[in-house]
Amino acid sequence: MIDYLTGAIVILAGAALLLPLLQLSKRSSEKLPGYLLSLALGVAMVFLLMFTINPTQVSWSGNLIAPDKLGGIFALVTVGVTLAVALASIDYQKGPSNPVYYSLLAFTALGMVLLAYAQDLLLLFVSWELMSLPTYVLAGFDKKIRSNEASVKYAIIGAMSSAVILYAISLAYGLTGSTQISQVVQQFVNHPTALAGVATLLFVAGFGFKMSIVPFHMWIPDAYEGAPTTISTLLAAATKKAGFIAAIRVLLAITTIYVVTQSPLFTMANVFAVLAVLTMTLGNVSALTQKSMTRLLAYSSIAQAGYMLIGFVAFSNAPGSAAASLGLTGTIFHVINHSVMKGVAFLAAALVAMQLRRSDLKAYDGLARRMPLTAFTLAVAFLGLAGVPPLSGFWSKLILVLSVANGPYAWLALAAILNSAFSLGYYAWLIKRMYIDDPESTEKVKEPFWFVMVFAVMVGLIIGIGLFPQQVISFASSAASSFVG
Amino acid sequence: MVFAIPSYFVWLIFIVPYVGALVTLALRKAGRLGDFAAVASAFVSAAFAFTMLLPVLEGHSPNVTSVPPLATSIPWISGLGITVGVLTDSYTAILTNIIAWVSFLIILYSLEYMKEDGGHNRYFFFVILFIGSMQLIILSDNLLSLFVGWEMVGLCSFALIGHYWKDETKDWVGTPGEKALGEEQAYSPSHAGMKAFVMTRIGDVAMLAGILILFYYSGTFNYHALAGDQGLWFQHLYSNGLLVPVGLLIFGGAVGKSAQFPLHEWLPDAMAGPAPVSALIHAATMVKAGVVLIARIAPIFYFIALSDPNLGVGTVQPFFMTVAWIGAFTAILAASQALVGFELKKILAYSTVSQIGYMMLAVGVAGLSTNFALGLSAALYQLMSHAIFKACLFLAAGALIHAADSKYISDMGGMRDKMKLTFAAVMIAAASLSGIPPFSGFWSKDAVLGAAWGSGQYALFAVGALTAGLTAFYSFRMLGMVFYGDRSKRLAQVEAEGHHVHEPSPIMWVPYSILAGVTVVIGLVASAGLVIPSLNVDATLQAAAQSYIRYLFPNVSMAAPSGTVEAIPAGLTLAIVVIGFFAAAVIYMARRTPPTRFVGETGFMHGLYNFLEKRWYINAVYYKVFVNAPIAFSRWVSDNFDYKGLFRVNEAGSTLGVAASGASNWVDVNIIDGAANGFSELGQSLSRAFRRLQTGVVEQYALLFAVGIILLIAFMLVAMWQAGQGVFLP
Repeated sequence: MIDYLTGAIVILAGAALLLPLLQLSKRSSEKLPGYLLSLALGVAMVFLLMFTINPTQVSWSGNLIAPDKLGGIFALVTVGVTLAVALASIDYQKGPSNPVYYSLLAFTALGMVLLAYAQDLLLLFVSWELMSLPTYVLAGFDKKIRSNEASVKYAIIGAMSSAVILYAISLAYGLTGSTQISQVVQQFVNHPTALAGVATLLFVAGFGFKMSIVPFHMWIPDAYEGAPTTISTLLAAATKKAGFIAAIRVLLAITTIYVVTQSPLFTMANVFAVLAVLTMTLGNVSALTQKSMTRLLAYSSIAQAGYMLIGFVAFSNAPGSAAASLGLTGTIFHVINHSVMKGVAFLAAALVAMQLRRSDLKAYDGLARRMPLTAFTLAVAFLGLAGVPPLSGFWSKLILVLSVANGPYAWLALAAILNSAFSLGYYAWLIKRMYIDDPESTEKVKEPFWFVMVFAVMVGLIIGIGLFPQQVISFASSAASSFVG
Repeated sequence: MVFAIPSYFVWLIFIVPYVGALVTLALRKAGRLGDFAAVASAFVSAAFAFTMLLPVLEGHSPNVTSVPPLATSIPWISGLGITVGVLTDSYTAILTNIIAWVSFLIILYSLEYMKEDGGHNRYFFFVILFIGSMQLIILSDNLLSLFVGWEMVGLCSFALIGHYWKDETKDWVGTPGEKALGEEQAYSPSHAGMKAFVMTRIGDVAMLAGILILFYYSGTFNYHALAGDQGLWFQHLYSNGLLVPVGLLIFGGAVGKSAQFPLHEWLPDAMAGPAPVSALIHAATMVKAGVVLIARIAPIFYFIALSDPNLGVGTVQPFFMTVAWIGAFTAILAASQALVGFELKKILAYSTVSQIGYMMLAVGVAGLSTNFALGLSAALYQLMSHAIFKACLFLAAGALIHAADSKYISDMGGMRDKMKLTFAAVMIAAASLSGIPPFSGFWSKDAVLGAAWGSGQYALFAVGALTAGLTAFYSFRMLGMVFYGDRSKRLAQVEAEGHHVHEPSPIMWVPYSILAGVTVVIGLVASAGLVIPSLNVDATLQAAAQSYIRYLFPNVSMAAPSGTVEAIPAGLTLAIVVIGFFAAAVIYMARRTPPTRFVGETGFMHGLYNFLEKRWYINAVYYKVFVNAPIAFSRWVSDNFDYKGLFRVNEAGSTLGVAASGASNWVDVNIIDGAANGFSELGQSLSRAFRRLQTGVVEQYALLFAVGIILLIAFMLVAMWQAGQGVFLP
């Protein structure tokens, strides 16, 4: 009896390997590979859902895979985003190398699923690369200068972060003689050394690259702007979240730093708190003056990563406490919400870029009269990202803020609230441009079927989770406690 | 007989408008059908509200039976122990009815006013959504769902102020070209909408912070639960020195929403919206939300402090003192600006800010006196009478502006013959606003100032009484300039062009005539109440205020409601009002002497006039400090940090030492070259991309990446060294 996770993996791998064969057939429809991949991703999602509800041991995996809810949530979120990207790409991505594009998407999805469940550093690294390498190619998929430039920059910094992670893994193996994450962490805690501290910090830096943490964020605006916007969606809403799951899995090692230094100043909670404030503030402040939508969304995405780090602060400040579990719940919940909100915002931007052939903010003036559904979708996503109640983003930010509100990091909660209020400045300004300002032309623009379907589902999620957050919160909370133990 | 109503009636008061909003949206292609759906749902909502009011009119509390699944309190987020529910006391019943019925009359008026507007569906959608959210604020039994409503009314207000998104010059507020301290003082509708949103947002942040701190100490958002719990959270807050700060943070939200000093500047410019929007949101309802919030929170603070022998009322006095003085100062500040206004709606806006100041003053002095319910009911009284007469004035102003085809009162004049009905309505409402007996405004102002006098705060009373004089002056100045004297040149010219001044259609004048009628009726009933106890409005409202306090603290003992008028404060105020009235009557109604005689071309009076006209320069300073400066800062960060700063880092690379330059070298040799080889087959276009890479941008990114890691590790090593450890432990 084969378990559901194996089923999902087999489907994704099959799609990845078989889709390029369509290249051979001259008569197949341009849209066929998109439909096939969407079907495969849909089935994989059902399998993952079954597996998450009722996790079983994965017999073939040895100690490589942790069949827990935490992995389940991240696998579902990332595959869900990939599905949205694949559906939107049916209208967006046209051209002869179509099957390859979808095959690369499938490889990325496979990498992210494996990464979500990885509890061994080797599998973690392999799946990290499996996820990353196809995205380097995808970012440069438009044969245009900007796209290629984005791809190269992304690849270079990506290679650097991979090197950093690999170095950290080698240090960890050298110090502990194991690649099992749990054992490495155990050994780090029992035998704290300076090198263990260095290894932990290198993990922070390496994962921070994908998580878009300042100062490892510089590639993000260039890559998001240059890549095909559907791929920017994938990077912002899916692979970024993979960075978070990797960080969460290795997070327990954090306690070592304090033990090593004995300094009340250099605690991991302090490190995360400083990075969080820098990340959210720099992201929001820079977003205010951007002229292009994709760049603006990129900076906003950086800012959101800062909020997610708050959960890490709560966790590392007092591991095992109620606040730690609340913080981790908040991070997971915000990861889910952010994937939906930022994902749909990027897809809407992709549609505008595709139909109007431009992505500067001027194109968004009076958009509500040209593309009413797209403008509405963007407006809901923006309000959600700004944390306006009763949308989903409000609740996850509330939980994150509550997790640190009582204790030494109350200033961080205040910083998050102020940042959130500040961010509403540019979000509201964008909504004003879309709904109030005059468009350059009032001609209606077509909003293709699959885009609209994806918008409807994701807007429904933003509002639905906002009105009935309880289910998702308890799911995230049980995932957090399955990890905290 | 007190009949019981099921709890879902109360829920439906705000659910019906929300459903109405969806229906309106769904009918956006169906011509005006959606507009009618919105009006109908406003009426149904008001009818449900009325079922709560009936028992109150008979002198009882509403009798609400809790019926599942919409019981008076239901679980919302069980993980955090958060419930959501509705309040059912008399105080809430009166509030919800004021909002429901005034809103209904205004949305009815809008049917005619907006009938030729292309965006009528959008307009009605936001108005009905607004009504539902406003009711959510009123009915919420906890701070969290109140906050949800709070944010939604903010969004609706923003959308409705900017309704005339085309930003045509005729829709601007202020006179373009007018400047103070070099800052433009005229705003387009969309700019005004933005300004309102951002300024109220400042208050909202403070409020959210306050609510969260409160939640952390008490574990609840619920008013009743806050009042219970033996006030443990209260003692903790107090011993941490956070009690008054938390109160003031929450008050910050009220200051923003209710346009009180120092966040009052958005309201005058919010007049860029359509007239019914000004009437609904910026006179009758949303701007009262701040007063409602403080009225919900203040009793909790006051009575817990009172019942705790270790604390006493003194601990919360700084909070109430601040509320009272902010209210009083705002009242006189805004009234003084209304003295010199020429835009009809802007005068009314200053007046609104000023009148809300009275309500804040009332809640403030409640906490400074021994009879809390007196101040709380005075605030409700003022809120009620102001909602009615100010809505009347705004709706009439819409008709006048339409008739005269100008927003300036200096372009009107002599209109009383042609618009007798409107003249009568404005006369009644202006008299009520000025506090002339027997209209409702006299009684409510008397309740507020009587409470201030009774609490022994004579300075606050004096400011309030002086403001009453200014109020009478600007009210009758406005009335005189619009209706008395000769037609202005401009009006004569407009009429010569064939645009005749005439009464609007009944669907417009009926609503404001009803509102004027209600003002008279409340005033007369209140006058009769002096001799017939069962008609005493003041006593009824005090009983209502006590019913909310009893809901929070069932065992508290309070003085029986009494509705007497204190002779000394009432007489003093009336004397000042009469002076203000006569001054305005002589100058602007009888036109005995031109106002320019007092102001002149130079000298002190001229300077004062300018100072008032430029809004005490507060607005201009805000723009200089809070608008221009942050934009400059953001540009600076973007220019200097993200670009130039990195160049500087690059140039200063050598000083970063061996480590940084080594990393940079390593990146160059291993990664850039390696990647260049690996990707070279991607072709000609790519090589051009690489040329851009040679400008050094990627190098900088990589450098920053490396510097980040090095800094992190360096900090760790420094920390270890400080802790007195060897760097390389075994």
